[in-house]
Amino acid sequence: MRRRLPSLAAAVTTALALLLTGCSGDGGRTGTDGVIRLSFQSLAWQKESVDANKQLVREWNAAHPDIQVDYVQGSWDNVHDQLLTSFEGGEAPDIIHDASDDLADFAYGGYLADLRTLLPDRLTGDIPQQSWATTTFGDGVYGVPFLQEPKVLIANTKILESSGVRIPTPEKPWSWAEFRQVTEKLTKKGTYGVAWPLKEPVSVTLNLGLSSGGQLFHRGADGKVTIRFDEGDRVMPGTVRDQVNSDGSAARPALGMGGSDTLPGFFGGKYAMVPLGFSYRQQVVEQAPEGFEWTVLPTPAGSGGLAQGVSPQTLSVAEDSPHKKEAVQFIDFLLRPANMVRLARGDWMLPTGTEALEDPALHTEENGWAAGTALARALRPAPAQSVRGYPEWKDKVATPALQEYYSGAIDTEELKKRLVGDGNRVLARYQR
Amino acid sequence: MSLRTGRTARAGQYAALLCYLVFLAFPFLWLISTAFKPARELGSLHPTWIPEDPTLDNFRQAFDEQPLLRAAANSLTAALCAALIAVVIATPMAYVMARHRGRLSTAATGWVVVSQAFPFVLVIIPLFLVLKYLHLINSLWGLILVYVVWSLPFALWMLAGYVRAVPPELEEAAAVDGAGKARILVSVTAPLLAPGIVATALFAFITAWNEFFFALVLLKTPEKQTLPVVLTHFLGAEGVADLGPLAAAAFLATLPSLVLFAVIQKRITGGLTAGAVKH
Repeated sequence: MRRRLPSLAAAVTTALALLLTGCSGDGGRTGTDGVIRLSFQSLAWQKESVDANKQLVREWNAAHPDIQVDYVQGSWDNVHDQLLTSFEGGEAPDIIHDASDDLADFAYGGYLADLRTLLPDRLTGDIPQQSWATTTFGDGVYGVPFLQEPKVLIANTKILESSGVRIPTPEKPWSWAEFRQVTEKLTKKGTYGVAWPLKEPVSVTLNLGLSSGGQLFHRGADGKVTIRFDEGDRVMPGTVRDQVNSDGSAARPALGMGGSDTLPGFFGGKYAMVPLGFSYRQQVVEQAPEGFEWTVLPTPAGSGGLAQGVSPQTLSVAEDSPHKKEAVQFIDFLLRPANMVRLARGDWMLPTGTEALEDPALHTEENGWAAGTALARALRPAPAQSVRGYPEWKDKVATPALQEYYSGAIDTEELKKRLVGDGNRVLARYQR
Repeated sequence: MSLRTGRTARAGQYAALLCYLVFLAFPFLWLISTAFKPARELGSLHPTWIPEDPTLDNFRQAFDEQPLLRAAANSLTAALCAALIAVVIATPMAYVMARHRGRLSTAATGWVVVSQAFPFVLVIIPLFLVLKYLHLINSLWGLILVYVVWSLPFALWMLAGYVRAVPPELEEAAAVDGAGKARILVSVTAPLLAPGIVATALFAFITAWNEFFFALVLLKTPEKQTLPVVLTHFLGAEGVADLGPLAAAAFLATLPSLVLFAVIQKRITGGLTAGAVKH
């Protein structure tokens, strides 16, 4: 045994050394042949989306032999820390896929290139101003918003039609008061009118709050942001709280769920409607039992109409990239209207581009595409995404306060006290 | 204690153990069940333990969409190297810490405890810069170096405990018989430490095998990514997941650790020095 041990160790060491051959780092960004090499870190994860991205990179590389793009598969998990480390280490990808609500720190930190002078007029003109606002920090534009996801109501068609309630359309949506009445009417033995998956309650509350004129965060003339909890801010959370605690028309257990967790109950007829992101339709298509009929409805409207906040997915360029111009050329190619449609369909989301939104493929009734596309014009920047101190306010103040409010543990006054009083103290620390 | 009371206590102990085993096994069994379920069963309101219509589609999809074998080979390389190097370094250090009590030994123990308190996020940027300086970014060697350094304090602390459990009388007896220091270490102490070395290697291996964040940050090209990083490619934003293929891939990723435990658990739990010394 003792004699075998050294030979075994030697064998293992040799095998590992062989395995490690070729494991060392790679080179720079411009090859000796003069070919510019750009790295594109994509966070696409669904097969159709990954395929679409890779295919577009192949098409670009075939058409541009002097500017080659390397596709790097990133991950939404821990993307902020991963990017921050790469920026600090001077090893960031040239072209960066992220979401607008994650860009503020990078933009203010000087890690991202200001794209204003680099973007072609075609792209600037194609994407509406409200979308550009999501990537504008200070005076600069630090990303190109290209995919967005509104919240919609995904409804069980049979339950809805048999109840006799008015079916809302983007032209004539339900008001919040009507929505509350409808969910009461849809609630029967074993069926709740709605299931609100509010495991992460803050962004949903802020984004849907825009429909009733809610804003919560108000920027003063001095540029400082303060929090107010006005009448418009109360409508959406008040409706949900009443549905759960007074009417019994919203399932209480769903308050602690993520979106996917509500789907089995939805398929099983336990919930007549679930408010979910537009891309959840893919899961519905894949997982719904045979013969299950569903439809996509707009979320309720208020004094702000169908407005709701979104944080689009974005493409940015690293400030350290030596080839910013070429990187933006690639982004421009990737976001040509036809390509933007391919990316949007791959991710089951909406494109931001005006021309892409007119594509017939996004106006089909199949899988609710048309209903979602009709909401595109009402989408606005998520209220708090550029507010410094928002992440701390969200985690330490708003999330516990809203969870307690929705479950009925605290009333509106206490919610206001926490969101505003505690919240402004948090923001003040960031705005000294 | 009467015979009857003893039996009742024993039954209670077994019941508690059973509950604990169920608690431990539940997530893994659920993972297996999910891995073999078709998409429509995953959305069922009344899920069953045994898939009604078992399928291998999730495994096919997982292998089609992600380079699982290549990622597993990378993980295996990193974990084996890290375990091997950590043990080779930690064993003599642990011996010194355990046998030669002094200021250095106390300081080393303090360092071990303190080093466990730093979260990944705190050290990652300086670490990244150091590795960049050494041209070890996007290199499995760099990752292995990080894993060795990361697992070394605990490995050291763990092995020192095993060394203390080896009676010094055995070494003294060998010395009386004329054995030198090196001979004592190789022929007397090291064989008795085998279970401890195996346990420590296992700890270092599993730490490296499961590690995600360092691998995510330090490795850039897809060809070098490890299994935990590749598994996150089945996850989207806000916790949305491609559940079936994720479960299938995660199940496969768990197997090496399980097999390793099954093979060497006897060495870990076996008597260390039973009968070595007659008191």
